[in-house]
Amino acid sequence: MARVIVITSGKGGVGKTTTSASFSSGLALRGFKTAVIDFDVGLRNLDLIMGCERRVVYDLVNVINGEANLSQALIKDKHCENLFILPASQTRDKDALSEEGVEKVLKELFHMGFEYVVCDSPAGIERGAVMALTFADEAIVVSNPEVSSVRDSDRILGILQSKSRRAVEGREPVKEHLLITRYSPKRVEEGEMLSYKDVQELLRVPLIGVIPESDDVLQASNQGTPAIHLKDSDVATAYQDVVARFLDEDRPLRFVSYEKPGILKRLFGGK
Amino acid sequence: MADASQGKLIEFKGASLAVMTAYVRETDAVRLADAMHMMMGGMPDFFAGEPVVLDFSQLASTPDWVDWTAITSLLRRYQVQPIGVRDLPEHLHEGARRANLALLGKEGLGAERPIATPQPAPVPQPEPVAAPAPVPEAPPPAEAQPASSGVAPTLIVERPLRSGQQIYAKGGDLVLLAGMSPGSEIIADGSIHVYGPLRGRALAGARGDTSARIFSTNFGPELVSIAGVYRTFERGIPPNAAGRAAQVRLIGSGNQHTLEIIPLQNDY
Repeated sequence: MARVIVITSGKGGVGKTTTSASFSSGLALRGFKTAVIDFDVGLRNLDLIMGCERRVVYDLVNVINGEANLSQALIKDKHCENLFILPASQTRDKDALSEEGVEKVLKELFHMGFEYVVCDSPAGIERGAVMALTFADEAIVVSNPEVSSVRDSDRILGILQSKSRRAVEGREPVKEHLLITRYSPKRVEEGEMLSYKDVQELLRVPLIGVIPESDDVLQASNQGTPAIHLKDSDVATAYQDVVARFLDEDRPLRFVSYEKPGILKRLFGGK
Repeated sequence: MADASQGKLIEFKGASLAVMTAYVRETDAVRLADAMHMMMGGMPDFFAGEPVVLDFSQLASTPDWVDWTAITSLLRRYQVQPIGVRDLPEHLHEGARRANLALLGKEGLGAERPIATPQPAPVPQPEPVAAPAPVPEAPPPAEAQPASSGVAPTLIVERPLRSGQQIYAKGGDLVLLAGMSPGSEIIADGSIHVYGPLRGRALAGARGDTSARIFSTNFGPELVSIAGVYRTFERGIPPNAAGRAAQVRLIGSGNQHTLEIIPLQNDY
């Protein structure tokens, strides 16, 4: 049974697109036929992060309007065999998304044999964000360890409970997961940042992972490579853990405690 | 969504209607007819088919039996349309029901059922059963328990209330089983009970009940109010109650009401 997963947050710049790219890549690496859809109509970032911006011909809005068929618009990922990207339109605005149109695209993806469809939500709580979450079976709510981000995540959880199809039709509610990104155990230790436990207590949603703050993320997006593919990177490991937990595997939390650098490290430097 | 609702030939929605109440202090049809004649003698069509709820809370004496047919036809002669009764002694319910009169709760129309929920109550999914053998069905756990007539219903919310969400327990108490977030708002005509964090705005006794209270196992609201007497916490929550089990109640009388926030003794 195909599942639709929305990656959402309310607030912008917290790591939704980075997470969408890595999470969908992770599912594809596990052998699942996966599609990732950019709902950020008008801004279009996912194709950059996935490194396929030069191959975009048709987009989501073209498919919804019947100007292109789905197989023409889907872009095959360069890293994973099973992953396809449906980019957002750069030139339209969010009103171009209709509920019927999105539903039609999702149904067609299921017919094509996709097992997971990951919806990369735009920031905010406007039409684009609501369209991205309307058909979700599960939601990964991305939050930074910071009060305004947590508040916005809370708001989007409320919208999920009232506007998703599952809620409107009174079916079993959307399964919620909390993902904390840009986490710095050092700053938590120093009292400058909320701890992951604080965030979880505020939101009361099961934690699916903690992604450490790292320069690797910036580097990966500049290269157009989803961070999960990076070699020897904590971020990549953390995203692999997220995918594993999503698939009901047991993984202990990593990268959440701070070890003071020893005397040698302090003398001789190093990261 | 608009298209879907257009397809429905009938649709049921909660509504609050203003309706006239007739306080019936006597159930003897003959004496009532005299009284009506005295009152309405020259204007038999004064009510023009207006719907009316018959209220029996001021009944002078409780009769053993009521001639509903006589009373309803008397009222209809004056173009009054009786639609229901309230505060009727229990032993007279059956007769009223047979006269096609609705039995209403104390607060009137709709009070028998909770009105406001932030999301449609999740329909319990029947567990998939492998064996074809018939399984006795347990009654579905209702989000809001409809109370027996006369008792105000309690609205129970099992999921966390999120920022931007609002909930109103009309006519009764509100129980939150998973707490609430900053930026959310809960209102109840009765008391409010929050098992978990109380973080947004909580307004109890919304229709002026000064005996309503607010309880929480983890106290930290943005605003509390009882019967319109409110308090914000710009300078912080009182340290003896912050993050702990606490209650809010109204003390004083007349116009001299003040809110009191006290930690609950059985703190754990």
